[in-house]
Amino acid sequence: MSNNIANETIDHSRNKEAWTLKRVLTNTYFLNVVSLVLFFLLWDYVAKERIFHDSLARPLDVLNQIITLVSIKYAGSTLWGHIWASTQRVLIGFFIAAVIAVPLGLFMALNSYVNAIVKPLFDLFKPMPPIAWVTIAVLWFGIGETSKVFIIVIGSFVPCLLNAYNGVRLVEPELYDVIRVLGGSRRDQIFHVCFPASFPAVFAGLQISLSVAWTCVLAAELTNSRAGLGFLIKRGMDTHKPTLVLGGMLLIAAAAWLTSQGVGILEKKLCPWKRSIENL
Amino acid sequence: MAYQKVEVKKPLPLIVLPYISVIAFFGLWEMAVRTGFIPDTLLAAPSTVVQTFVDKLSNINPDGATLGQHAWTSIQEAFIGYGLSLLVGIPLGLFMGWFKVVEGLCRPIFELIRPIPPIAWIPLTVFWFGIGLTGKVFIIWIAGIVPCVINSWVGVRMTNPTLIQMARTYGASDWQIFKQLCIPSALPMVFGALQLALTYCWTNLVGAELLAADSGLGYLITMGGRVARPDIIVLGMICVGISGAIIGFIIDEIEKKLLAGIRR
Repeated sequence: MSNNIANETIDHSRNKEAWTLKRVLTNTYFLNVVSLVLFFLLWDYVAKERIFHDSLARPLDVLNQIITLVSIKYAGSTLWGHIWASTQRVLIGFFIAAVIAVPLGLFMALNSYVNAIVKPLFDLFKPMPPIAWVTIAVLWFGIGETSKVFIIVIGSFVPCLLNAYNGVRLVEPELYDVIRVLGGSRRDQIFHVCFPASFPAVFAGLQISLSVAWTCVLAAELTNSRAGLGFLIKRGMDTHKPTLVLGGMLLIAAAAWLTSQGVGILEKKLCPWKRSIENL
Repeated sequence: MAYQKVEVKKPLPLIVLPYISVIAFFGLWEMAVRTGFIPDTLLAAPSTVVQTFVDKLSNINPDGATLGQHAWTSIQEAFIGYGLSLLVGIPLGLFMGWFKVVEGLCRPIFELIRPIPPIAWIPLTVFWFGIGLTGKVFIIWIAGIVPCVINSWVGVRMTNPTLIQMARTYGASDWQIFKQLCIPSALPMVFGALQLALTYCWTNLVGAELLAADSGLGYLITMGGRVARPDIIVLGMICVGISGAIIGFIIDEIEKKLLAGIRR
């Protein structure tokens, strides 16, 4: 059990073990399958026995609903249209926030004067949950695209900036010393130590921002919209169709997961020097 | 001998600039609204917000409760949900980190539920529990449990392998290693989760109240929007921010007291 962390030297030679019952039962993949099957069976059972009356749909019904949405237009567009509507908002907002917040965070950490001006303002806004901006965004920008993108920008701004800022501040001072010993200028310090060393933290911030962005777009779409995954969920809520609600939830989870995988791949390409914790 | 305090002298501009920037921010905000650059139907001046604040302490119009009642509802919901998520999430994460069987059983379900934003649960909870306390506690519970599980899991995983080997050499059982080695070494991470979970809970509380509630700070914001009173919206936002910051500060202090002596 837990041999891979208990032993610093891992024996890579494979010696065949007999297929005992215990070994099969404690196999990770076997357990994964068991847990998923149990989960769906339980879900199906709860839905079938109508423990929540008709407010929980059976898994297969949800799947059917999703398949129907792919082919039949719902509220003016097919499923792809709704997915694209949400994804587009998330990407635009996320991009704007990242482009402003990451350089600002790096700049704040490098220059104490910028820090002295921006940090107090940032601290004022930081504890305010982005969702609290929904109402005032509608008041300012109406119920169109702008207000939704605005909320996403506000939401993804904070983790981006915070992580870029902390990433630079937590760079090991020895690395700066090395550059100084090698005769590098301040410019070299920034470009050869500071930025590369803080990149992993920046990317961690981007990942957090992305998940916040999905939450924000959902909040914005639930309050008012005419397209998007949040709209599907909201419509399901208003017309009391649990299949639609659950389908929307699963789709938004899938979309959020896919975009975060995308950022993960980008991270691996752009900064391969990141040390990651095994198995997570 | 007590440590001698090293005083680093900051240049004067660095001390003054933060104050200037905050004052300038509020000044500009006040000016922009007063001069009509931003119409007062869109944004309320800080002075108006302060007036509304004093007024709302006793006046129940236009949303049916005083500020204190709203804040109390929110804090109650947040704390019940937060407490429950800690109660379930931390032990679950710790067990998942050490026992392979628990990990195998719980991880797929956890990974399935994790990417769903907690707000997406709102319609279902409204179907199941109505718009009362239970539904919101459920949403906050879901929101808070994710960071709890992840952090305590990673905390156990990051236990120094040498220590585990040593414990094995001395003949400790799996359970003993878990109890006496993994849990203490995971504690700093677990406390990190307390802060994180609180932020998540607080954010999603506001979301839950915006969409399905009859009182609470989020509801105050919604009502402000419905009656087109920007001062109430801004007041609600500021209250949410300040109370979140205060709770975060309290947890930070508790953490410092409890973790004194553990190197982070």
